[in-house]
Order: sequence, then structure tokens, then C-alpha cells
Amino acid sequence: MSLERKDDHDHKAWMESRDLSRIEGVYLMTLMWLDKRLRIVDYLELLEDLYYKVNLQMPKSHTEQYGLDNKFWYWYPLYALGSFSTLAYIVAAISGALLGFYYTPGAGVSETSSMAYQQIEFIMVDLNFGFFLRSLHRWAAQVMVAAVFLHMLRVYFTGAYKEPRELNWLIGIVLISLTMVFGYTGYLLPWDQLAFWAGQIGVEMSLSIPLIGEWVAQLMFGGFTPNPATLQRMYILHVFFLPFIVTALIAIHIGIVWMQGIAEPH
Amino acid sequence: MTEETDTTDTEERTDGGGTGIVPPDDETPTWSERKARKEGLPRLTYEYFERSRREDQDLRQQSSYVERDVLGFPAWPHEMIRNLAIVSFFTGLIIMLAATLPPHIGPPANPSQTPEVILPDWYLYWSFGLLKLGFLNPDLALLGGEQIMADRTYGVVANLVIVGAIAVVPFLNKGSARRPVEQPFWGAVGVAGVVFAATIAGLSVKNLLPINAKLTQDLTFLLPFVFGFITYAVLKSMREGYMFNLNRRYYRLRPPK
Repeated sequence: MSLERKDDHDHKAWMESRDLSRIEGVYLMTLMWLDKRLRIVDYLELLEDLYYKVNLQMPKSHTEQYGLDNKFWYWYPLYALGSFSTLAYIVAAISGALLGFYYTPGAGVSETSSMAYQQIEFIMVDLNFGFFLRSLHRWAAQVMVAAVFLHMLRVYFTGAYKEPRELNWLIGIVLISLTMVFGYTGYLLPWDQLAFWAGQIGVEMSLSIPLIGEWVAQLMFGGFTPNPATLQRMYILHVFFLPFIVTALIAIHIGIVWMQGIAEPH
Repeated sequence: MTEETDTTDTEERTDGGGTGIVPPDDETPTWSERKARKEGLPRLTYEYFERSRREDQDLRQQSSYVERDVLGFPAWPHEMIRNLAIVSFFTGLIIMLAATLPPHIGPPANPSQTPEVILPDWYLYWSFGLLKLGFLNPDLALLGGEQIMADRTYGVVANLVIVGAIAVVPFLNKGSARRPVEQPFWGAVGVAGVVFAATIAGLSVKNLLPINAKLTQDLTFLLPFVFGFITYAVLKSMREGYMFNLNRRYYRLRPPK
């Protein structure tokens, strides 16, 4: 044992045995120097594998495997519903961030209408592309919920929730619930008549939970009737808590699909 | 392609025929193969990488880490490429919907005036309908006709029961059957569930439906069973044909007496 550092794989001796030209020698020295520090070989291999994989033939789909060609191709969209809801989520996130530039969650006591309502009116009437922006956000949300529902049905009817994938099924249930909470909190934000009375239903639902009902109503709705604090809380849930939680869960959900592979289409 | 796969292609396939993934030259080339196709500095690069990989390989073999196979259909790139095509089309649809059917906004919130129709968004109708199940809340004779839970508590509990029932499905239904035909019972349960979601949503808007309220309540629970039974019967008879196809060779070898 000596304190002097040794070249583990004796690159030097290997280079000397190769009888390299000057250019080659310098090149190889540089390459080795970089590779030792940055592990270039890993990244290069990654890129090259990607290149070769792109050129792979597509795998036989279940329709080909079971000799059902030309009959079942129209099932494919059902297998894309998960991706589709993710994409709708991204569309909703982008349009929602843009809407957030103009929206204010104020339900102050006013004779005619609240700050939130006035801001929605501003977005719809005065803001360039505001009407479309709100429309896009709403439709992306609606479509996401619908896609998530159908995604769950597809997973159920193809038995994709079975043995190694139970955990993802459970995460999926949490996600579909949170999606609906997302929708509900968003539904309340315009603070129009529908929103106010949907808020009333929500308050009553949480009040009817045994033992902790009043506590839950206070925590989520800031009171026992819809009030300015309710709107404020719905807003913070909608733009702060839920985005972080749902995005993280979606990442885990997709990560697990990635690790386990798609449940063989069948 | 090896000879083995060629011979099996001509035969009738049953379940478990493999993934069917066929690379053009059988497999991704190794570093040595890539090296053989190069000259000059690229070749030198690959010579070094080949060496470096072999060293990694040695290290890996010395360690106790075990690489495991994961059975499934690769998410990348196979599934993703197919999905991208379909999904970008549907994203176009979202934008088209948003442009053609923009939402409008109702009158501002007014706590002193209750609207005639109070409804959440459509996807919460089922949950809203479960809140209206008070008519099922039993009056217990023991308690002198009183109810254990208030009607609205009953509704919230019903929501939890539904979510819980969905959550335990993978722990009840085990085995490798995938298609509904292979498991008629679970197929029927699924269809009954979907129909129940629709009928309970109908129940939540019962005051808007041109049907007798009592009849709506009965249909809410009757229809899922009806559709469930029909599905069960259909799938069960389909399964006979399906299993016959799977076992055709068996029948051919040993025809029934």
C-alpha cells in the first residue's frame, strides 16, 4: 500500500502498447481525462442506444399477436387516455398560470359583485384572448376529468390493476379524487351564484362528517357558510397546494408505469 | 431470426407468445461491433470505451447487486410514440372545443337568494347523488324509530364506501386473467358500477328528470343489477367460444366422445 495514486486500469501502459501517433495520443489523453471526471461513456451509450432503439421495429401489438389485425386498432385511443389526461393537465396548468396573472380571489362584501367576479368579467370582456383563455382552461379541466374517468374504466376492464400494479391503482384513486377536488375548488373561484351554492353544499358535506365535521369546515372553508375566507382558501388550494401534490403524484404514477412497463395490452 | 420463432409463427398462437419485439439485426450492437465499423479517432474512442465497459463489467460481477427482469410492455419508446400521435390529436380537440364552446358566467353570488337549481360540475353528480340517499337510511326499531346517523352523514359515509370498494378491487381479484371474457364476474361488476355511476348521477338531478321520484330511486339500484346480469350472461357465453379457441388443438387431438 502506498499513498501514491495508481491508475487502476493502467491506461498509461495500454496507451504505450498501442504505438499511437501524436494527435491520437493527445486525443486519447483528453478523452480519458474527461471520461474519468464526467463519465462520457455513459451518456454516449445512452444516446447511441436511443438511436438504435428509435430504429427498432415497433413491437407486435396485441392485435397482431392475437391475429386480430384491422379489427381492433380503434381500441388504441383507450390506451392513450393516461397520456391524454396528463397533457390536458399541462394545458390547464399553462392556461391557469396565465389566468392567474389577472385573477384576484376577493369576495369582499359588495352590493353588486365581488372582486373575483369583476376580474372574471374583465378577463372575459376586456382582456385580449381572455375569453378564449378562460374557455381553454375550463375545457382542459373538463376533458382531464373525463379522460381520467375513462382511463380508470380502461384499466379496470383490461385487468391492468392486477398483481404487481396494485399500488398504482391506489395512487390512481387518490389522483382521481384530487382531480375532482381540483375541479371543485376551480368551480368556486368565479364566485357567481353556482359557485356560492356549490360552496354551500361543500360546507354542509364537511359539517356532516361525524366528530371532526366542524373542524374540517373551519379548516377547508373558513366558516360554516361560504364567505370571503372560503374563496381565499379555495384559491390557495387550487393554485398552491393541489398543483404541488397532484404533480408529484402524477410523476410517481407515471414513474411506476415506466418501471413496471405497460400492462400488456390484451 | 432463429429457426424456432419461424416454426411457431405458422402455428396457432395462444396466450404468452412473448413480446414480439424484433430489432432489425437481432440486437443493439456492442461496443466492439460499433468499433469494427469505424476508422481513425472514432475507432480509437470505441476501443477505449470497449475497454472501459469491460472494466465496469468486471466491477459489476464482483458486486452482489442482482439485475432483475421486469415483465411488461416498454413505456419508452414503444408506447410513448403511439400515444404522442393520438394525444396530440386530442389536444387539438381541446383547443377546438375551447374556441367553439366557450363557457359563460352566471349572475354574481348572492347569499340572500337561493337559486332553483343547485348543482356541482357534472363529474361530481355521482357524489352529489350519494348525498341524497337518505331514503335508504334505516329507522331502527330498537332505537324507537330513530336513525343512527343523520341523513347527510349517511351520504358522506356512502361516498367513502364507494371509494373504498374501488380501492380493494386489486386485492380481491387476483390471477392472470385480463380480458373481461376471461373473468365474466368482474366484467359484470364493472358494468354494474358504470351503470350505477350513471343512475346515481341521474338521482342527483331527480328534480330535473321527467320521471316519478320514487321510480328514479328504484331504477337507481335496479338498473345496475339488470345490466350486470346481462353482461354476465353475455360474457359467460362468449367465454365458451373463447376457451374453445384457446383449446382447439386439445379438441383436435382428442375429439369429445
